[in-house]
Amino acid sequence: MKANNLKKRKYYTVAVFALFRLAALLTAAALAGIVLFLIIKGAGSISWDFLSQSPADSMTKGGIFPAIIGTFYLTAGAMLVALPLGLATAVYLSEYARPGRINSIIRLSVANLAGVPSVIFGLFGLAFFVTKLGLGISILSGSLTLALIIMPTIISASEEALKQIPLSYREASYALGASHWQTVFNVVLPAALPGIITGSVLSLARAAGETAPIMYTAAVFYTLHLPSSLFDPVMALPYHIYKLATVGTHEALVPIRYGSCLVLIGLVLGMSLAAIIIRTKIRRNKQW
Amino acid sequence: MVNDPNAVEVKTLNFFYGEKQALKNINLDIKRNEITALIGPSGCGKSTFLRLLNRMNDLIAGVRLEGKILLNGMDIYAPEAESADIRRRVGMVFQKPNPFPKSIFNNVAYGPMLHGIKNKHGLNRIVESSLRAAALWEEVKDDLHKSALSLSGGQQQRLCLARALAMEPEVLLMDEPTSALDPISTSKIEELVMDLKNSYTVIIVTHNMQQAARISDKTCFFYMGELIESGATDQIFTLPQQRQTENYITGRFG
Ligand SMILES: Nc1ncnc2c1ncn2[C@@H]1O[C@H](COP(=O)(O)OP(=O)(O)O)[C@@H](O)[C@H]1O
Ligand SMILES: [Mg+2]
Repeated sequence: MKANNLKKRKYYTVAVFALFRLAALLTAAALAGIVLFLIIKGAGSISWDFLSQSPADSMTKGGIFPAIIGTFYLTAGAMLVALPLGLATAVYLSEYARPGRINSIIRLSVANLAGVPSVIFGLFGLAFFVTKLGLGISILSGSLTLALIIMPTIISASEEALKQIPLSYREASYALGASHWQTVFNVVLPAALPGIITGSVLSLARAAGETAPIMYTAAVFYTLHLPSSLFDPVMALPYHIYKLATVGTHEALVPIRYGSCLVLIGLVLGMSLAAIIIRTKIRRNKQW
Repeated sequence: MVNDPNAVEVKTLNFFYGEKQALKNINLDIKRNEITALIGPSGCGKSTFLRLLNRMNDLIAGVRLEGKILLNGMDIYAPEAESADIRRRVGMVFQKPNPFPKSIFNNVAYGPMLHGIKNKHGLNRIVESSLRAAALWEEVKDDLHKSALSLSGGQQQRLCLARALAMEPEVLLMDEPTSALDPISTSKIEELVMDLKNSYTVIIVTHNMQQAARISDKTCFFYMGELIESGATDQIFTLPQQRQTENYITGRFG
């Protein structure tokens, strides 16, 4: 009787774990599937010219260099704005703000900001940055809009990273006569940096991949010139892909479309990799 | 005051965590250039007492203190006393080695840099002399820019000692500094502490009675928040005056 029960429980455990494993494998398979699909469809169109040339003949020939550059500028711009702002917010929330009404309002806003659909950010960017502030359809407007979108991720990632810092580091700093600010700035923040970078990698990928927010604020389907200032509009990979998929019916566009997708994924993975390398460097050296 | 042989004087001290009284009516004088050991069963208030001496308990919400603690004659809980200032003058080594995740050099230089020493030459000198005083210099002099976390546990604890000594504190507090270390690292730290006596006043919490007997000049026995007995270490371990002290040191409880 008892042995029977045990046996039953054992089977049950095995079955449940198999189910979990299946779910995990399915996730991995989905990613592998997408990448594989893109490689099969798009690898053929990848060439040095494709990466380094401007489009030609109504997009049916040439490369996507301006879109790569545009996405790079927009993403870097968004990170440049969102990282310091997000970090400052996280430090304020976790190190300074007393629990209370203002604190809860800020937290609630951050949480809700994360839930706003990206097309709404796009419209807000159009109304506020492009029109109201007069920044026009530009790298600047697009970066600021993207920055708003990724702020919540950066804030929560930073808060999480700050929370992970053991109390013993703070105690050691206080015991040497450091003030709260000195402790946060010299000990807690540097120790949290690898975690902050890791968390921010996610938002980096998001900023690179979003279409709706840049559609009205930064991106154009085609420009003759590469941007020469922050106030210029740019081509951008996600928007380019979207346009190629919805506007063009030309046969020649199909491989270019998949090639662009592959480049976008490559760019995102590349930037993530760079962030991971920086993080490992910091972790290894610890020399700040 | 300069002739006063006491580095620390504790007068009718009561301390509360919220409603809970952790220390009851403590009176104690601690002599300069002596090693004072605090012993007693766990939870009796040793750490609490130690952390009052450098105002570390300020960081805990809802605590209350009655009485006075004088550091070389100065009331460290007087309204005009700055906690950061007190902590600069009273160094602390914690139970678990807690070096910053920075280089060895930056760990030791952290305190002096905070307090305005910026020039490379001065910092180099302080780092070297502090590491020498902690008997770590020979082991790390070629690796000063390696992460402190790459050191062994015993080395890390000596680094923490060097970090505290870099401030040239008037009093050095140690809270069970060897409880996380192996016997060899432990005896190294013990030797160090005995050497430090010439230049520093050391107050050390230990749950290890042999350690207290080996290294300290004075021993204080705490029990349930009270200072039951204090005196010369020899006397406490051979002729304790109180029944509770005797029970504790003969291992009948604790
Ligand atoms: N932060 C705190 N909040 C509330 N009670 C505490 C706190 N720290 C210690 N105590 C209590 O104070 C008493 C003394 O603790 P402690 O000083 O750590 O003892 P010891 O170091 O002798 O083991 C214990 O009963 C402990 O539970
Ligand atoms: Mg303790």
